Amino acid sequence: MPREEKKKSAEENEKDRSGGISRREFTIASMAIFGAASVGEGKAITQVANKKLAQPGIASQATAKLPLTSSARKISLTVNKWKYEVYVEPEWILRDVLRDQLGFLSIKDMCNGYGACGSCTVIMDGRPVLSCMTFAAECDSATIETAEGVAVDMQDLIEAYVMNHCMQCGYCTPGFVVTAKALLDRIPKPTEGEIRDALGGNICRCGTYTQHILAIKEVTGNA
Amino acid sequence: MKTVKKFTRVNAKTVEEAVSALRAANAWAMAGGTDLVGTMRFEILPDTMYPKILVNLKTIAPTLDYIKEEKGMLQIGALTRLEDIAKSSVVKSKWAALSEAAHKTASPHIREMGTLGGNICQLTRCWYFRLHDNRFFCVRKGGKTCFAISGENRYHSIFGGVSACMAVNPSDTAPALVALNAKIVTSKRTINAEEFWAVKIPRSTVLENDEIVKEVQIPGPASGVKSAFVKFALRSSIDFPIVNCAAAIGGGTARICLNAVYNRPYRATKAEESIAGKAIDVASAHAAGAAAVTGAIALAMNKWKIQVAAGMVKKAILACA
Repeated sequence: MPREEKKKSAEENEKDRSGGISRREFTIASMAIFGAASVGEGKAITQVANKKLAQPGIASQATAKLPLTSSARKISLTVNKWKYEVYVEPEWILRDVLRDQLGFLSIKDMCNGYGACGSCTVIMDGRPVLSCMTFAAECDSATIETAEGVAVDMQDLIEAYVMNHCMQCGYCTPGFVVTAKALLDRIPKPTEGEIRDALGGNICRCGTYTQHILAIKEVTGNA
Repeated sequence: MKTVKKFTRVNAKTVEEAVSALRAANAWAMAGGTDLVGTMRFEILPDTMYPKILVNLKTIAPTLDYIKEEKGMLQIGALTRLEDIAKSSVVKSKWAALSEAAHKTASPHIREMGTLGGNICQLTRCWYFRLHDNRFFCVRKGGKTCFAISGENRYHSIFGGVSACMAVNPSDTAPALVALNAKIVTSKRTINAEEFWAVKIPRSTVLENDEIVKEVQIPGPASGVKSAFVKFALRSSIDFPIVNCAAAIGGGTARICLNAVYNRPYRATKAEESIAGKAIDVASAHAAGAAAVTGAIALAMNKWKIQVAAGMVKKAILACA
C-alpha cells in the first residue's frame, strides 16, 4: 500500500473507533472550546489566542480548574507579549501555571523538578531560567518567553533546527530552542565554546547535541 | 511532578523586614530557590522543620545585587546571581578563582537563578539526607545515626565527621572565598570565610535563625599572587563537585582550600606550608598535593577520593604558576 493511503486509512480507523473524530481533530476542537493560549504552530494560532485572553482560573486542555484558597494572590504575567492575570497560590510552581493553567505546552517536565534537564526553560526578564524551580507567586509583572514565542520571533532559528535534524523524539527540543534564543539575544554571534557553554544545562537523551551547535552556527552565519 | 506543601509567603522589602520575619518558628529565607524548592518539593526534612513561612529575599534584590570594587576591595551583594559574577570582567581580572568557581557551579540555568549568598548557605547534598519523604532521619535532621558510615559512602568525607555526620559541603564558591581570604558580612556581624561554615541541624553555616548574608568582601590580591579554581565532577557542565580546590599563591604566601572532602571547606594547611615560597613546578606541586591529604581517613568506599583530592591540589597549584 502506498504511504499516503496507508496513513489515510489509519486515520479513518481511528475515526471509526472514536465515534467519527480523529485524535488530531479532537485536539484542535478542544483547543477551540477552551480558547487556550498560544499553543503550537506559529503565528495563526497565537493571534487567535490573543482575541480571547485566558481568564484567572480558566480550565485549560491539560487539567481541570484548580480550587483556590484565601491565600491565593493575583499576579500579572506577560507571556510571549500577551498579558495574563492569574490567581496563584504561594506554593504553585511557575511551570504548572504556564503549562496547566495557561496551556503553554512547550514547557516540558523531564527530570521531575530537580533542575537537572533544562526542558522547562523559559526566558524570564532576559534570563533563561528553570520554570520548575520558580514559584509563580514570585513572578508578578515578569516578562516571560516560551518556545511558542520563539517560534514567532525567531523563525530562522526554528528553520535551522528543523533543517539540521536537531530532534529525534523532540521532547527536550523546546528547552534547547528557548536557551538558544536567550544566548542569541545576548551574544548575536556566539563562538562554538559559548554555544556549548550556554546549552550545558539542557539534556537530550537521544544525543542530538552536535546538531544543536550546527543549527545555531547556521542561524548566526558562522557555519 | 510532586506538588509543594502549603506555606505562607513573606515578600521582604528590606533586610530588617526579612530579619524580623525570620524570627518566627520554621521561617526560612529563600533567595534563588534552586536548593530550597527541591528541599520543599521532595519533603526531605521532617514535618517539624518544614518551612511554614518562606521569606522571599529576592524582593530586596536591587539593594543587594551588585559587584563593585572599592579601594582595591571587591564587594559582592549576597543576591548577585552566579552568572553575573562569572561574566564580570572585574572579578575575572583580579579574583580569577572566584570567577572560575562561579562559572563551574551547576548548569547555566541554575547560575542564572542562584545567588552567591545562597550558594554558600546551601544544605548538604548527602544522598541519605536528600532522599525523598525524610526516609533517612539522619543526624543532620535531629536523628541519632549517620547512615553513610555503614552505607553507600563513595562521595562522603575523607577527613572524618563532625557531630557524627559524614556529609560534605557541596559549594563551589566556598573554597574560592576561603582561598581569597574573604569576609562575609551578615545582618549582625562580619565573619571570616574560614569560620563561616559549621555543622548545624540542618543548616551548614554559623548563621543564627534571624541572620542573613548581606555582602561578601574580598581584599585585593597582594602583588604577585595568582589564584585558580579546579573542579572534579562526573559531568563538567552541570554536576556538584566530587572534589574541588581553590588556591591563591604568590609572594611567599599560599592559601589552598579543598571542598566536598569534609563537612566544611577544608583548608589544606600542610600543602600551603609545603608550597609557600617555593618555585611552582610539577615536582613541588605533586609534593604539596601529597601533603594536603596526610591525615585523611577513608570510609569503606571513598579511598579513591583521597587520590583525587591530592590531584586537585596539584592541578590548582600548577594553575597558579
